[in-house]
Amino acid sequence: MADLLDIIFSTSFGYAVLRVTTPILFATLGALISIKAGVVNISMEGTMLTAALTGVVVSAFTGSGMAGVVAAVLAGMLLGLMLAYFALNLKTDIILAAIAINLMASGGTVFALYVISGDRGISSSLASKVLPKIQIPIIHQIPVVGSVLSNHNILTYVALLSVIVVYVLIYKTPLGLRIRAVGENAHAADSVGISVIKTQYIALIMSGAFAGFGGAFMSMGYVSWFSTNMTAGRGFIALAAEALGMGRPFGVLLTSLLFGTADALANALQAFRIPSEFVQMVPYVVTILGLVIYAKRRQSMAQKHKSEDRV
Amino acid sequence: MKKYSSIILILILALALTLSGCGSPEPEEPSTDTPVTDPAEPEEGEDDALRVVLLLNGTLGDRSFFDSANAGLEMIEDEFGAEVRTIEMSYDQTRWEPTLWEVSEQDWDIIILGTWQMQEYLQEIAPEFPDNRYIIFDTAVDYSVADLSNVYSIEYKQNEGSFLAGALAASVTSSDMELANDQKMIGFLGGMDIPVINDFLVGYIEGALYVDENVKVYVSYIGGFDDSATGKEMALAQYNAGADIGFNVAGQAGLGQLDAAKEMNKYAIGVDSDQAMVFADSDPEKAELVLTSMLKRVDNSLFRAVEMHLDGTLPYGEAEKLGLVEEAIGLANNEFYQNNVSEELRAELAEMADMIVNGDITVSSAMGMTTDELNELRDSVRP
Repeated sequence: MADLLDIIFSTSFGYAVLRVTTPILFATLGALISIKAGVVNISMEGTMLTAALTGVVVSAFTGSGMAGVVAAVLAGMLLGLMLAYFALNLKTDIILAAIAINLMASGGTVFALYVISGDRGISSSLASKVLPKIQIPIIHQIPVVGSVLSNHNILTYVALLSVIVVYVLIYKTPLGLRIRAVGENAHAADSVGISVIKTQYIALIMSGAFAGFGGAFMSMGYVSWFSTNMTAGRGFIALAAEALGMGRPFGVLLTSLLFGTADALANALQAFRIPSEFVQMVPYVVTILGLVIYAKRRQSMAQKHKSEDRV
Repeated sequence: MKKYSSIILILILALALTLSGCGSPEPEEPSTDTPVTDPAEPEEGEDDALRVVLLLNGTLGDRSFFDSANAGLEMIEDEFGAEVRTIEMSYDQTRWEPTLWEVSEQDWDIIILGTWQMQEYLQEIAPEFPDNRYIIFDTAVDYSVADLSNVYSIEYKQNEGSFLAGALAASVTSSDMELANDQKMIGFLGGMDIPVINDFLVGYIEGALYVDENVKVYVSYIGGFDDSATGKEMALAQYNAGADIGFNVAGQAGLGQLDAAKEMNKYAIGVDSDQAMVFADSDPEKAELVLTSMLKRVDNSLFRAVEMHLDGTLPYGEAEKLGLVEEAIGLANNEFYQNNVSEELRAELAEMADMIVNGDITVSSAMGMTTDELNELRDSVRP
């Protein structure tokens, strides 16, 4: 037990939590924006995967990690645009369209990788770039805090800053107000002259952009290559994290961190001979527990509203 | 607007039809063009060339297992003038059984498939086609459930090769090599807690203890074979805890360990295929840290099986375990191994390999080991 506490309170564990959280946080923020606008984007998984491949390929051919990130984000936005076109113009069911994107990404990325590099499982023959790590000047000097918070991949900081950006965007800007209005009641928003389709387009494209950042981190920060289905369900965990965070930017930061911690814990617990299946269960048990708490809270909130209505 | 969208939809549909039209005839080709007309054969100079098909329940490009099987098929094509085909069934499980049925109905001399995931399907289908010949690698069918006298199973003594990997790791961690630390701890990164993977582990632990009884082994299981990010995370945890060399046995997910090794500047040992050579061109720094890889030579074992089939000596209806003797297992002897591992140590490992072949060293196997015995072994080396 003492060993366990040693591991949890070590700086490398804290550092690992932030690293594991980063892709989940990006995807969660993306999901949040789309849900705020009333268009659930469940294609985060496929979008991240596509962006991860795009980042690797572009950075390998341009020799620049930054170009890779830009391309990854553009790829994410493009998929967001595509989903918006299918759902809003062609009126397909958005869930089905998103599932189609996920399936297409899972096979399509392998096909594209093969055409481009001749590899099929992993992009090891492409000399792709990784993004730099950043030492934060003053914080880096502080003993414990420094080794947890500093020297992360640049995208980890982008993710954390994005929480603030998303908060400001949604609650402090006219666009955010329109997004929320459309999400709350599209007809009402329409009646006061807000273009519902335009707003939802913007929300889905932004949500794709965040997934793009998440994908770029997976293949150019977390590991240094693209491999088949490397996102491994992180895009779906993000949807749970969004629900748990009650759709609030700082709420989803906390829930993403919770999932990150559960994941990191699952990795660290392997040192003890606890059955590995049990350890691997931890993140999912946390998800279920979280969803139960979330459902309970909603229930009690709904009851409160009801009793208020009666008065 | 509506008009345009319907035109686009029709175009997409037409494109999809053409594409799927291009794709599907491929697997059916052999059945349609062989029975009556045989214009393709003459250049081989034989009337009935051996026809061999390889079914992969995955895709090529894993730089490991399936690529090695395909290489074996190419050797068979070159050496015996056989007509060969590789069918990639992808990782979609729902396609495996129907494809095996379909291929079984076609006219092939030998049908090769692999992994424990195909085992049950084969046990079901093989008895339906008593005239077919099947070779399954890396697992053994259960010969007691049905009449499987037409199936030959190849298992690998991965424990023997892992013994050498463990001996190498233990020697490195207690050596004064550049990146080795004072702690006598080595890592093992497995895909799943299953018998095949644990067979690697048992050999690895025994090899390590053979060199130094005080070595500790940090064991982690990723829980799958494709999540290389989690693989990296677990390998980082091992290196952080004081391991200075690790052995990954987790397919694609295990490659995460090599990334972790580069980040922490520690050593790694690859598996199945030569993982140093995978990165030799694109990331030489990483390749330098991969001291060697424990190779599962699926290619050699398939070649051997087909050769014996032609001689009429292949024991169908039986399972064989191939190891160092058959060259189905071994450490990769590449430039990185030569440059980074001292000549002395290489000689010692070669000697151990000989002793295993001669039977002077017997390596235990996780196959048939009870969970308690396995846990006892794992606990005995727990850091």
